Amino acid sequence: MNYLQRQFHALLDHCLDERKEIRSLRKTAFDRFNQLGFPTKKWEEWQFTDFSEIRKNEYRLAWGKDLPKIPDKIPGLIPDTYSIIIINGHYQPQLTKLPTGVSVKSHEDFSQIDGDEYSLNGNQNPFLALNTALMNSEISLIVEPDSIIEKPIQIIHLTTALSDQFMNHPRLVFQIGRNSQATLVEHYIGETKIPYFVNPVTQVSIDENASLNYIRILEEDIFGCHTATTNYILKNDARLNTTSFSSGAKLFRHDIKLDFAGDGGEAVFNGLCLTEDQQHHDQHVIVDHQQNFCQSRQLFKYILAEKSSGVFNGKVVVRKNTKQTDADQSNRNLLLSPSALMNANPQLEILSDDVKCSHGSSTGELDDDAIFYLQTRGIDSETAKSLLIHGFANEIIEKVKPISIQDYIHNQFTDWLS
Amino acid sequence: MLEIKNLCAAVENKEILKGINLNVKQGEVHAIMGRNGSGKSTLANLIAGKNNYSVTSGEVYYKEKNIAAISPEDRALNGIFLSFQYPVVIPGVNTTYFLKEALNAKRRNREEEEINAADFMRLIKEKLKEVDLDETYLKRSVNDGFSGGEKKRNEILQMLILEPELAVLDETDSGLDIDALKTIAHGINQYRREDRAIILITHYQRLLKYAVPDYVHVLMNGQIVKSGGKELALELEEKGYSWLEK
Repeated sequence: MNYLQRQFHALLDHCLDERKEIRSLRKTAFDRFNQLGFPTKKWEEWQFTDFSEIRKNEYRLAWGKDLPKIPDKIPGLIPDTYSIIIINGHYQPQLTKLPTGVSVKSHEDFSQIDGDEYSLNGNQNPFLALNTALMNSEISLIVEPDSIIEKPIQIIHLTTALSDQFMNHPRLVFQIGRNSQATLVEHYIGETKIPYFVNPVTQVSIDENASLNYIRILEEDIFGCHTATTNYILKNDARLNTTSFSSGAKLFRHDIKLDFAGDGGEAVFNGLCLTEDQQHHDQHVIVDHQQNFCQSRQLFKYILAEKSSGVFNGKVVVRKNTKQTDADQSNRNLLLSPSALMNANPQLEILSDDVKCSHGSSTGELDDDAIFYLQTRGIDSETAKSLLIHGFANEIIEKVKPISIQDYIHNQFTDWLS
Repeated sequence: MLEIKNLCAAVENKEILKGINLNVKQGEVHAIMGRNGSGKSTLANLIAGKNNYSVTSGEVYYKEKNIAAISPEDRALNGIFLSFQYPVVIPGVNTTYFLKEALNAKRRNREEEEINAADFMRLIKEKLKEVDLDETYLKRSVNDGFSGGEKKRNEILQMLILEPELAVLDETDSGLDIDALKTIAHGINQYRREDRAIILITHYQRLLKYAVPDYVHVLMNGQIVKSGGKELALELEEKGYSWLEK
């Protein structure tokens, strides 16, 4: 029996009062995970990432006793935001601040949540199955229809003060009601020197004519492994603007899938990964244009230092008989060291004639001519390099709104660079 | 101010400069003319300190010091300026920030306080007028999306703000229409002073009509084959370069 089986049985024993539908969902999911197993180099979509760290480490699920003393100052908390705080997998309702029009359900009322967002739908991602089997930290956030939420809502997942190697499988459901507008920040922070594993699944649905500004910040500790699955469903005329800023975790894998489930949707993805040492960041994005008049934009950038490595695999699918699709996908990577490695694979799968699509990828080092140009203006070569790296990142950072979050990301980037 | 003695330089074992001698004093404007591939840009880049050339023999003295081992930034801080033939695009770096950073690097080097935001904006607005650029350029990334003419005017703008002592202008006139050419020449004439020196590198005589040099040198196949006064430029315009070939 491997550690996951032991943890799974312990979880079932622990949650005896769970609804039987949920128990059976967990069992089905765990069977699915066991069939699939951890990804290997032979799996085309997973071939550049080595998951042996997660397979071998004997993580255990986080329980109630893993809740440390609540820090006086929650790290990463951005001023002037509404907040939801989860510490070592435990939702802290007493720290929740939310405006009217927004409600949150947590593990305590998990039994009331309908199962649709939880079904596996034949998905072959083993980490989604594993999350569904072991989900131990659930947050469901609902923005009522016709609500304009001015300030961002920040959801912090903090991992801190661990006593031994543990894992969390957070499940997040975000529903943005008709005609509503909101900014959500999903923020992972780790402060520990003990290996841990976080495997979140986030299901986002944006209803008719609603608009979501969604920022994902990954600042897991370098001892943490983070595998994430995010699924978006956009109804008619829904708008999504996402920014991901990822600087943490030893191993980071993110599977992103967006379905345009209605006409006239718009989706923008901006992503910045920063890696150093032996970090590895792997992002897979599928944007599925199933309906008409939809527009998607992707810009994923990586800055890779030392012996770190990155993978970008993006696919835009345009289904048969769809009209007026406009899709663009771009991946730009900057290698700061000869030992850094990037694997990029942007793809288009176009089955309709009525499309405007473009994609491209480039990987390069800092431009010597640009460094020389700055030097001839009296700027020393180290400052020149830093300016160029800043410039490269700025294209993502300066688009982040509101400014409080942009400032936070900018500061974290500057820290990373120095 | 600048003395070049028998300078020979190669790129990837190909000899580009084959014994250049040049002496530029304070207050002088020298034009170096020549065809494409004659070594003009190599000479300009070497003065500014680009390191992908191997200097096989000869020396460059600036203010009576051999500058072989001096970095490009230290050359710049000590008053050498290069206007690039192809100004480099730097995406994501705001033009205002870049200009301020460059100016402050110089001020720090002179142990002066950094310029405050209000004084800087006043200075920059005044200089923008000289080169006929509007303030919207300041909000853009350095040279990003600039037209050819805008890039060249931006180079002259930097020269006016940084106030170097020796300005090397590498084909700053190329690809410009007559109005832009006059603007560039105006900028150069604004900059010209008794205590400064200018090297104008160009293919054609037309800039020299508006920014009149004291001396003209013809560079051909890595050597200065003829030197003279400003009238030499007119002669070249009339006869071309062939008559100077050995």
